[in-house]
Amino acid sequence: MSWEITGMSAVCALGDTVAGIHGALCSGRSGLAPLSAFDGSKYRAGAAYEVRDRVRSGVDEPLRATRWLVRVVREALADAGLPEPEPGLPVLVGTTHREMRTTELWWQHDGPLSPTDLHFTAALHSALGLHNVHTVASACAASLYGLGMATDLIALGEADTVVVAGTDAIPESSFGGFDRIQFPPPDTVRAFDRSRRGMIMGEGAVAVVLRRAGTYPGRVHGLVRGVSMNCDASHPTAPDSAGIVRAIEDAHARAAVVPDDIDLVIVHGSGTAQSDLAEAVALKAVFKAADPGPLVTAIKGGMGHISGGAGLLNLVVALESIRSGALPGVSDLTDPIEEVKELRVVSGRPAAGPFGTAQVHAVGMGGINAVAIAEGATR
Amino acid sequence: MSAPAAVRTAITGVGLAVAGPDFDPVTALAVRGMRHKDRSSRFAVQVARRTLDDAGLLGAPELDGAAVVVSSNFGNLDAVCDSVTTIATGCSRDVSPMRVPHLSSAVSAAWIALDHGIRGPSLTLCNGASGGLDAVAAARNLIAAGRATAALVIGVEPDTPPVARLHRESAGTRWIDGAVGLVIEPVRHAVSRGARIRAEIAGYGRAADEQSAVRAAGATAIRRLDADPTARFGRCSGALGVVQCAMAVEQLEGEAVARQSARPVLAVAGAGAGESDGTSVSALVLTPPREPVHTSPQVPVHTPSQVPVHTPSQVPVRTPPRGPLHTPPPRGRDT
Repeated sequence: MSWEITGMSAVCALGDTVAGIHGALCSGRSGLAPLSAFDGSKYRAGAAYEVRDRVRSGVDEPLRATRWLVRVVREALADAGLPEPEPGLPVLVGTTHREMRTTELWWQHDGPLSPTDLHFTAALHSALGLHNVHTVASACAASLYGLGMATDLIALGEADTVVVAGTDAIPESSFGGFDRIQFPPPDTVRAFDRSRRGMIMGEGAVAVVLRRAGTYPGRVHGLVRGVSMNCDASHPTAPDSAGIVRAIEDAHARAAVVPDDIDLVIVHGSGTAQSDLAEAVALKAVFKAADPGPLVTAIKGGMGHISGGAGLLNLVVALESIRSGALPGVSDLTDPIEEVKELRVVSGRPAAGPFGTAQVHAVGMGGINAVAIAEGATR
Repeated sequence: MSAPAAVRTAITGVGLAVAGPDFDPVTALAVRGMRHKDRSSRFAVQVARRTLDDAGLLGAPELDGAAVVVSSNFGNLDAVCDSVTTIATGCSRDVSPMRVPHLSSAVSAAWIALDHGIRGPSLTLCNGASGGLDAVAAARNLIAAGRATAALVIGVEPDTPPVARLHRESAGTRWIDGAVGLVIEPVRHAVSRGARIRAEIAGYGRAADEQSAVRAAGATAIRRLDADPTARFGRCSGALGVVQCAMAVEQLEGEAVARQSARPVLAVAGAGAGESDGTSVSALVLTPPREPVHTSPQVPVHTPSQVPVHTPSQVPVRTPPRGPLHTPPPRGRDT
C-alpha cells in the first residue's frame, strides 16, 4: 500500500515555502542568527535558528507555534485543492514543545494562557473549522509518528485524507537546558564531523496532506511507502543504534523495499556526539551489502533542529530533492567520523540526481525513533 | 470519524496510582529510581507497574513488541516553568542537567518503556480533555496496524504549582494528582494466554459536539457510564478518558458480580466536560467480555455467554436503538 502527498507547506528560519527552503539548503545558506528575544546574558550560546516574525524585535509573543501551524495547514490544504476541508478531516500535529513558550510567558510575565492553548484543536477549529485534531507529543520524532498514524488511519479505513503537521517555537527552558548540557556551545551544526559540538535549536512548522492512493486526480508531490515508529528503551537520553536499525528495517518491510532501493537518506543529524554516531552505525549495518548504497545527508545546519516538525521537514525536503534532482549536502562537514567513511555522505555542493526513493529519519529524546520511506511523484 | 474494529481488542489490566487506601504518594513516589524523575513520571512509572501486574504481564517477554500510549496535558509544565524561573533568577548554568529530559512532554512514556523494555511505539497525546479516550483508540489502531502486540495506556496529570495556577485561573477548584493505566491487547492474544478480559473496546467517535461523537461511535442506544470521574477526583484533564475506562470496567464487573445483565457502557469526554479546554468530543464504547471469563479468586464473575449481548460491533451505526433509549445522566460540572 502507498499514500499520496497532494499538498505541502513549511516555514522555518530558511524560508516559508518548501521549494524556497530546499533552494536555500542547496545554496548553502544558514538561518543561524543572534538571539532576538531572549536575554543573551543568560546563555553561553548567543544564536539560534529563529523565525524572524515578531512584531517588535526583542519583545516575545505568545502562540507563535500555533500561528505557524494554522498557516502551514491552510497552505497545504490549498496546495492539495482542499481549501474548504471536511470538518472531520483528521489533523495529526507532531510537536515537542507544544505552546511551552506561551506557558513560560504566562508563568514569568503573566501573559495569557488557557488550557486550550496547550493543544491545537481550538486554534484549527476557529481558523479552518477542523475539530478532529490530535496533538502528538512524541518528542522530536512526533511528526513522523503523526505520519505513521495517518497511514494507519487510511489503511484501516477510518479516513481517506489526513493532514499531518509539525510545529514548535523555541522555549527558553529548552534553549537554556541544552545550553546547560552542551559546553562549549556549538557554533554551527556539523553532522558527522569529528569536531561536532551539538545541536542548535530552530523553530518552524510543516504540513502535508496525505491521501489514499488513486483517489485524487491532480498533481502529487510524492508517495509515502511506509513509516515505522519505535522506542529504544535502553537509555533515558542517549540514542541506541540497535533501536534505529530496527526502525529502518521495519520501515523497509512496511514499504516493501530492500536497502538497494534507497537512493538517498536524510538523517536526523542533530550534530550531537551520540546521536550522529548511533545513526552512522545504524546506516552502516543496514546498508552494508548495498552497492553503491544511498547518498546520505542532513539538513539541520540550514534551519537548526525544529523539534517536532523535524522528521516531516526531512520528508518534504527529500521529495523536493527528488523532484529537482538536487540533494543538498551536510553543512560544515570537513572531517567526517570514521563510522561514515563507508557511507556516501554528501558535503559541499549538492549531489545531482536522478533520485527515486528516499528514507528520512527522526530520532527523539527518550530513544523515540521513526523512519519514513517515500518516493517521487509519477505525475 | 468512527473506527471499525479490524481486530477485537480488550482491556486486560487496570491500575490506579492516586492517593487512597492502597496508594500513598508520599512513599510510592519516593522509592528507588524516582529521585531524578518529575512528579508526572513518578506517577506514570508506578501506575505502569501496577497495571502490568494486574494484567499478569509484569516481566513478560511479549512487552518487547508492545506500545506505550500516554495521555497528559500538564505533565511537563512543572519542569518548564521551574527551569524558566531558574534562568530568570540566574542563568542557564543553574538548570540541573537531570531536569532537561523532563522538559519534553514525552518523558513519562520514555521512562515506562525503559522500565519494562517496551520497544514498540512510544506515543504521547496532549489532546485536551478528550485525550484519554483518544489514547485508547490510538492504542487499538497501533495494534490493528500491526505496530504493537499490546499497549499500555496511561493517563497522568500531576498536581504541581503551575498546574494548580492554571486550574484556578480557569475556574477549577479540584483536580486529580495521579495516574491511571490500562492494558489493551487483542482478544485472541488475551484468550491464548489465559488472561482475564475485563471489557472489550467497541465503537469510538470524535466530533465537534457530543451528539455527533456519540453517533460516530455507533452508541446512540448505549447507556452512559454510571460513575462521574470529576466528582471522585476533580478535573482529570488528559487522564479523564482513562479514568472513565477504569470506572467502566469497575461498573461492568460490579454488575457481573450482582448477576445483572451485561450491557455495553459509553464514555464521553471533551468539550462540555467543564474543564475549559475543549472544542471537540470523543466517545468510546466498552462492552462486557464475550469470551468465557477466567474467574479470579476474589471476584466470582458471571459467565457472559449465558447472557445475550448486543454489542455495537454487531449493530450497524444507523440501526434504530433496540430497547429503551437511555437518558444521559446529568453531567458533572466542576466550576
